[in-house]
Amino acid sequence: MKRLINLDINGEVRSVAMKDHHTLLEVLRYELSLTGSKQGCDKGDCGACTVLIDGDPILACCSLAAANEGKKIETIEGMGNASGPSKVQRAFDVSGALQCGFCQPGTILSAEALLRDNESPSDSEIREALAGNLCRCTGYTKIIDAVKLAASGMSQHSGMLLGKAAEGFDVIGAPARKADAIEKATGEALYTDDIVLPRMLHGKILRSPHAHANIVSIDTSKALALKGVHAVMIGEELPKAYCVIPWTPDETALCTDKVRYIGDGVAAVAAVDEDTANKALKLIEVVYEVLEPVIELDSALDEGAPLVHNTDWKGRDRTSNLCKRVALDFGDVDAGYEQADARVDVQYFFEGSTHAAIEPHCAIAKWSPDQRLTLWSATQVPHYVHRAVADVLGIPQGDVRVIQPTLGGAFGGKSEPFDLEFCAAILSKKSGRPVKILYTREEVFYAHRGRHPMDMKMTLAAKSDGSLTAVESNIMIDGGAYHSFGMITAYYSGQLLTGPIDFPAYRFESKRVYTNKPSCGPKRGHGSVQPRFAFECGLDELAEKIGIDPIEIRRKNAMKSGQRTVNDQLVPSTGIIECLESVERQSDWKNRWGKMPHGKGLGVACSMYISGTAYPVYPNEMPQSAVILRGDRSGRITIFSGCSDIGQGSDGMLSAIISEETGVPLESITVVSSDTDLTPVDLGAYSSRITYMAGIAAQEAGRRLRARIVAAVAEAWEIPIERVGVTQGMVFDIQDGSKTATSQEAMQLAEAKSGTLGETGQYWTRKVGGKYRGGTIGASPAYSTTAHVAQVDVNPRTGVVKVEKVWAAHDCGRAINPIMVEGQIEGSVYMGWAEAILEEHTFHSSGLHKGPSLLDYRLPTSVETPEIIASIIETIDPGGPYGAKEAGEGPLHPIIPAIANAVFDAVGIRLRRTPFSPDRVLSALAAKLEGSDNA
Amino acid sequence: MLRMPEFSYVHPKTAQEAVDLMFSTENAHYVAGGTDLLPNIKNGLHEPSLLIGLGGLPKPTVTLDGGVISIDGGMKLSALASNSLVKASAPSLAEACSLIAGPQIRNMGTIAGNVMLDTRCIYFNQTEFWREALGFCLKKSGEWCHVINSPKSCVATQSSDTVPVLMAKNASLVFLGRDGERRMNIRDLFQFKGEDHLKLEKGELLVRIEVPVSAEGTESCYRKVRPRGSIDFPQLGVAIVAQIAETKIEKLVICVGAISPTPKMIKGLDAFCGETLSDEVIEKIAAIAKKQCRPQGAVAGGEKWRREMVAVEVEVGLAGLR
Repeated sequence: MKRLINLDINGEVRSVAMKDHHTLLEVLRYELSLTGSKQGCDKGDCGACTVLIDGDPILACCSLAAANEGKKIETIEGMGNASGPSKVQRAFDVSGALQCGFCQPGTILSAEALLRDNESPSDSEIREALAGNLCRCTGYTKIIDAVKLAASGMSQHSGMLLGKAAEGFDVIGAPARKADAIEKATGEALYTDDIVLPRMLHGKILRSPHAHANIVSIDTSKALALKGVHAVMIGEELPKAYCVIPWTPDETALCTDKVRYIGDGVAAVAAVDEDTANKALKLIEVVYEVLEPVIELDSALDEGAPLVHNTDWKGRDRTSNLCKRVALDFGDVDAGYEQADARVDVQYFFEGSTHAAIEPHCAIAKWSPDQRLTLWSATQVPHYVHRAVADVLGIPQGDVRVIQPTLGGAFGGKSEPFDLEFCAAILSKKSGRPVKILYTREEVFYAHRGRHPMDMKMTLAAKSDGSLTAVESNIMIDGGAYHSFGMITAYYSGQLLTGPIDFPAYRFESKRVYTNKPSCGPKRGHGSVQPRFAFECGLDELAEKIGIDPIEIRRKNAMKSGQRTVNDQLVPSTGIIECLESVERQSDWKNRWGKMPHGKGLGVACSMYISGTAYPVYPNEMPQSAVILRGDRSGRITIFSGCSDIGQGSDGMLSAIISEETGVPLESITVVSSDTDLTPVDLGAYSSRITYMAGIAAQEAGRRLRARIVAAVAEAWEIPIERVGVTQGMVFDIQDGSKTATSQEAMQLAEAKSGTLGETGQYWTRKVGGKYRGGTIGASPAYSTTAHVAQVDVNPRTGVVKVEKVWAAHDCGRAINPIMVEGQIEGSVYMGWAEAILEEHTFHSSGLHKGPSLLDYRLPTSVETPEIIASIIETIDPGGPYGAKEAGEGPLHPIIPAIANAVFDAVGIRLRRTPFSPDRVLSALAAKLEGSDNA
Repeated sequence: MLRMPEFSYVHPKTAQEAVDLMFSTENAHYVAGGTDLLPNIKNGLHEPSLLIGLGGLPKPTVTLDGGVISIDGGMKLSALASNSLVKASAPSLAEACSLIAGPQIRNMGTIAGNVMLDTRCIYFNQTEFWREALGFCLKKSGEWCHVINSPKSCVATQSSDTVPVLMAKNASLVFLGRDGERRMNIRDLFQFKGEDHLKLEKGELLVRIEVPVSAEGTESCYRKVRPRGSIDFPQLGVAIVAQIAETKIEKLVICVGAISPTPKMIKGLDAFCGETLSDEVIEKIAAIAKKQCRPQGAVAGGEKWRREMVAVEVEVGLAGLR
């Protein structure tokens, strides 16, 4: 029975009907539409639901609404709004602290409470005060900056640009605010779960408790009979297999014949509310025939091992759990070994990890009377979801519209279709009502698609001067239950190792195998973070053997701009030398490496990453990315783009380019993105492709519009086109400075002269890549490069590795918005450091995830996250927009080997397995004392 | 969102009313901060019919009287961490309070809630789906302990940060029951039974904690081991109270928490009375503590490593008291 309570929220007394067991968060979000308080972890582990009670930050997900009667409740909506944001909200905006923004309402409330008590907090007081608010994007660096700025009272800023543009530009290269920052900071931005439609039902998915079992029968009749249940579905209703890679469909919306991991979906229900849906799930009777599971990577390919998939995607019987094998050979490796004066044969193991975006996956489906499906989904690839949903449902693509609302972090974890999108669609179809499905945090862990565990053997050989002669790699990859991007993963694990350290001969073999565990997939630095760890550590081992400085061996073998890699990939630009020199100088490497007291050390590593995978996942001749511009007499330009802004700031990147090209200020540009009915196709936010590809599309569209504006102005002023200059907010006569017009006047002239202002621009797939089978995978039109130096303190008594400081230099080509680039570098370092030190996505022998919660899977807090010093290196790429390349994934790679190498410098042990947990470090130290090399 | 099953909620005005309510229905629970109970309910570990909220009780206080600090059970952890009386008279208790979980949870949780904290286990504090997939354990719905791989006993771990400190300080607990107040030494509260680790009568409510102020010259500390600098429960907690006169040990108490269902009072420390707190002595004491502690695998981190850390933390803690 519901009862009425009165809550004092943001100074208003709100009467709300609720049940005693409802949490404050449930009431705020779903009864009062105060959706600025977010739900991230379900049970008090993440801080996204932080509100203030009588001035103190608390967790609304662990507080009963009824217990808060009579108390003063403050939510983010009470801190400020679009018209008058608070000083903390403004500071978060201008400091670039808001990436995805999902955790920020909670963080901002903690900061507000801190500043009320303490007007000028120290760094450590800020870190302590925010230590219960997990952020997955920023590495906390810019958040701490923001709190300090708020404390200083200097956060007021008008205008979008925060600083000067690069030389020769008006906007490009200028630090700029994000158009959606204040919306995010005030809690007004609508994420998928914030959307409520009339008559909307709530869906839930029944999941398998077995890692491997045949489904004998499913009886849903009792669930369907439960009052409040409107639809039930099982796998047989949607049997068409799919995969984000069209060649390898091995997954269905719900399981049809057997389940392949604990958490695999078997049935789904839609009911009036979540509680009823949960009750209905318990009434579904599934009879399983339990099979022996395949859990260990080591034995997955053993003869006689149970088969995770009985047949392949063509229906042929499988004889093993091999998902994909790639073996490629470049140059003469054996000759390279013969020429070498030294070689190391090393083995490293990289443990699995997961994205853990604070926003759980969520989808809402609704059918219109003309039988078109609209799907709102927390995805980073609306286009691939669009294709897959149409294909699996068997309806024309034109009858599906996918909308990506504001997204609360992704990192690769939302880059393919998931069961909830298909299930919401079918349940909505069956019930005739909109259906929302929101994953619990536990389900997010089962959906996974994160970092593949890899067992890596590598050989590196060099001459005594340090020049590499050959590299060989042999990698076993634990893929989990389904293919996901698996063939790409297998290729990337070998193909992306060939720069920025160059070597003349290379062969690799990588095998991705199926196991009965949640499927692995692309996590930030897909497929290449793990081999980079082995390679960069191996390189240090080789340098040690030869007796040269780790930075020297890298410099010696550094690739040059315009060079081809050993596997025949063209690298148009690389700033590896500049990156190495930057971190070498900043860390005072020459005076400190190898010379610090026992327990303290420095380590270096570098890496290269694609700036967009060259080709779409399904072959086609159409543009990979496109931009449509619409302008009119109002002086405003609207950019329509399929790009997914997942917090990285792609909307801002597009705006900056259009502003630069047309002179229309950022304040007069609107971006409409990622809605498949409204926006042109973009393939999605993956493989670090957006700045390069969509940037070029925007550049083209902007230049076309500019040409029309300039032509009209030239005609009106009766001067040649060449004399018309465009700058921020105005056009002018280059020879006669007194002759000017506003951008709006210029656009009116253009509209009058040439009609309605619309232009398009696109990025056509550039034909790059090696000329051999597989040579297009790992091919990219440009490559970023990174170098890190990490400084560690290893406690020899506890085994705790404390990373004190990280210098990260990243060559992103032209930094279109340096604040966003820094944010990507800082977030990458944080995420990689977390994989090195804390995070592991591991399983019991039954295949059960060891701890699918944000308490057991530990995301670092503001307290232990190291100081990160990001440096931007700009080697202007000949092909990128204004010379820009990627910044979102490359900067993650080096941190893990840099830490491992620093640990060697500190205490002389090689850590060969992630994470570098204290017990492993102690074991390795003990082994060293006994004279063996065992970590 | 992970949801809770339906239950009723009341918030009485007095402690006695709360206790009486406990007898009014089957399966009622007290709830103060709720930061442990609510996630546990979400995990399906309890199916209460009634929650008795303690937020409506008279405003809790801390007083110092006759050499005893008297702390009402409803005191918030964050308030205790910054309470000037506690910081002055029992700094290690303030320190322990400041190290519990994260800032928001310290603003919600109470000292009584932390003392009464249910034992924790990596196989127990999971959702119903997860526990069923693994096979229910003997703390809830099953007959098997996954930690020790045996049906013999539950080794879920006492995970409070304040308990080792209060035990080292020889604190008393005052419970209110149906028949009035009962005073108990905190060292008598626990039993080695992870599924039911508190020796209590039905309905007893912890209303007050009495901490004797230590004699002149007493130093104390609390050392917490956890993977992160915030949020985490302890993997190990070491509380030390030492009375030192001119570098000589006059009295030494060490209590180690987060190793098993019961905190461990280290035995045999009286033998060190009169000794100088030298490096050698510290090493000996650390070795004794380590020998007596057998951390169970109900907490992450590895039993061997956590046992090693008993010695390290005792050493570092003692060295800091010199």
